[in-house]
Amino acid sequence: MIRMRSLAVVALALCAALATAASASAATITLSGSTSVAPLATKLAKTFVNQPQNKGKVKFVILQGGSDIGITDVSRGRVTLGMSSRDPKPADPGGIVFNKIARDAVCVVTNPSNPIASLSQQQIQDIFSGRIRSWSQVPGASASGPIDLVVRTAASGTQDAFQNIFMGQTLRVAGSATTKSSNGLQAQTIKSDPNAIGYASFHFSHGLFSVPYLGVPCTLRNAKSGQYAGSRNFYLVSRGTATGVAQKFIQFARSAKAQALVSSDWVPLR
Amino acid sequence: MTREGIAASLPGRRPQRPGSASTENAGGTGFWSDARVERLLGAIACLVLLIILGMIGFVFSKAWPSFADNGLAWFGSGGDVDLQLEDIFNSPSNPAAYVYTLRAWPLLWGTFVVTAGAVLIGIVFALFAAIFIVEFAPRQVNRVLEPVVRLLAAVPSVVYGLIGILVIVPWVGEHLISLERKESVSNVVQLDGASIGVGILILTVMIVPIMIAIVVDALRAVPRGWTEGAAALGANRWRVTWTIAVRTARPAIVAAAVLATARALGEAIMLSMVAGSASFAPNPIDGITFFFEPTRPLASALVENVEGLSVVPFGQTLFAFAAVLLVSSMFLSLAGFTAKQSMRKYGVRP
Repeated sequence: MIRMRSLAVVALALCAALATAASASAATITLSGSTSVAPLATKLAKTFVNQPQNKGKVKFVILQGGSDIGITDVSRGRVTLGMSSRDPKPADPGGIVFNKIARDAVCVVTNPSNPIASLSQQQIQDIFSGRIRSWSQVPGASASGPIDLVVRTAASGTQDAFQNIFMGQTLRVAGSATTKSSNGLQAQTIKSDPNAIGYASFHFSHGLFSVPYLGVPCTLRNAKSGQYAGSRNFYLVSRGTATGVAQKFIQFARSAKAQALVSSDWVPLR
Repeated sequence: MTREGIAASLPGRRPQRPGSASTENAGGTGFWSDARVERLLGAIACLVLLIILGMIGFVFSKAWPSFADNGLAWFGSGGDVDLQLEDIFNSPSNPAAYVYTLRAWPLLWGTFVVTAGAVLIGIVFALFAAIFIVEFAPRQVNRVLEPVVRLLAAVPSVVYGLIGILVIVPWVGEHLISLERKESVSNVVQLDGASIGVGILILTVMIVPIMIAIVVDALRAVPRGWTEGAAALGANRWRVTWTIAVRTARPAIVAAAVLATARALGEAIMLSMVAGSASFAPNPIDGITFFFEPTRPLASALVENVEGLSVVPFGQTLFAFAAVLLVSSMFLSLAGFTAKQSMRKYGVRP
C-alpha cells in the first residue's frame, strides 16, 4: 500500500512539474479568425515555435471562426492577431493593419467528362444558387440532365473562400446541394458523378476538370501571376503596427523560409 | 438464454466474497490479497460509472445553450439545416449575439429511417442465417461460415464506406436512377446515387454479423431436452426450431437487435460517405424515389462539421447532436433491458 501511495505521489508531482514547465513565462500569441487561414497559421506557428531562439519562449493559441470574427476580435484587443481570408473593407474598424502572408486560389471543378470552356461569375452564381438546374442551360457543357451541386460543409475554409470569391455576400448555395465534409470526399463524388459540379483549392483539383474562370485556366502559374481572378489573399491582422513577438511572427511568416512552407498548399507571396 | 444465464445456473461460478475465508490467509498471498484485489477491481468498476456520469454531465452542459435557445422547436422541422448551421458558424463573436436557430428534424428523421431500416432487414436475415448455422448447416460448411461471420463483424466501417462510395454509389447513380427520376425532383433534391437505400444496405451488411453471432450463441444454448422432446413428438426440424428454439431465444434476439441498433445509431463515417450528406428529410410518399433520396444522420452531421468545433455556438450545437445520440442510446439499452425482463417473467428463460 505504501509503495502504491508513493508511486501516486511521484506521478502527481511529475504531472505538476510538466504542467508548470509548459506554461513557464512563455509569451502567448493568440490568433482567431478564418478557418481557411488557420491551417496555414498553424503550420507557420509550429515552425516558429521550434526555432531555436523561440523554443519554450513563445506559445500559440489558435481559435477559428471566420474572417470577420478575427477582424473584430483584433480590433477590440481580444487577440494578438486576427486571421483574415478577405481583403480590407471600408467598413472595417479603424486602426488595424492587414499583413498579407499568402494567397490561395479556388477552382470550380466538374467531372472530367464534362469539360466547359469557361464560366462567368454570373453563370457560376446561377448554377450554385440553383437558378439554373439543368446542364442544357449551360452553354458548352457536354453533360445532360440535372446539375448536381457538390459543396463543402459550413465549417470548411474552402466553402468560405468560394462564398467570398464567387457568390458574394448575399447569394447562398442552393439547399439541395450535397455537402461533403472533406476535400477528398467531395473530389471523389465529383469524379464518380458526370453531372456534378463543385469547387476545390487547386491542390485538390487533380483528376477533376478545372473550369477556366473568365477564360483563365485555374493553374498554379495563373494564380501566382495574378491572372486567375478566383484567388484571394490571406492576412494576419494586427491592431496598429504589430510589436514584439507578434511582429517577429509576421516577419517570419513573410520570410523566404516560411514562404517555402506556404508554397506546398498555397500561393506564396513571391 | 445467453451465456450469463448458464453461468449463473452453474454452482461455484460466483466469486466468493472475501472476508470470511480469504482474510484468514491474506498474509500468505502477498500484495495481491483478496481484500486488496476486491477494492481495486471495485474502484475500476466505479470508475466506469464515474466516466459515464461525467460524460453525460459534460455533454449536456455544453449542449444546453442550443436547446435552451430553440426550445422544443429544436426537434421540429423548418428551413434548411445546412443554411442554419452556416449561420450558426458565422455568428458574431459577441456572446450576446450568438446564433443558435436550428430545426434538426431532417437529421433526426434521417437517423431514424436508416437505423430502423437496417435493423428490421438485418434481424430477419440474422435470424434465418443463425437458424441455418445451428440447425441445418453441415459441419464442413459451418467450419468456414462461422469464422467468416465473426470476421465480417470486425471489419471497420470506413472500409464499408469506401466500397460504398467507390463502387455502389456510382453504380446506383448510373444504372438504377433514371434521368426522368432525377429531373422530377431536381428542384428539391439531387439524386446522385448516394442515398438512404445504399445507406440502409451497407448498414445492414455491417450489423448482421454481430446479430448472427449473438443469435447463434443463443440457439446453441437452448436445452437439448426441449428440442429433443419436441422431435420425439414427431415435429420436423423446422417446426422444432421455429416453435421451441427461436421462442426460447427471444431475449437474445431482442439483445441482438438492441446492440445492432446502438451500432447503427452511432455509425457516422460510412453513412456520411454513402447516404448523401444532404440535410434532407426523405419523404416516404415519394414511392421508389424515397430510397434514392439522400439524408444525413445525426452522427454523420457531427463528424462532418467537427472542423468548426472551435466556434463557440457551433460547437455547442454539435454537442446538442451528441446529447441526443447519447440519450437515445441510453433509452435503447433501457428498452432492451425491460423487454428482456418481461420475457423472463413468462418463464421463457429456464
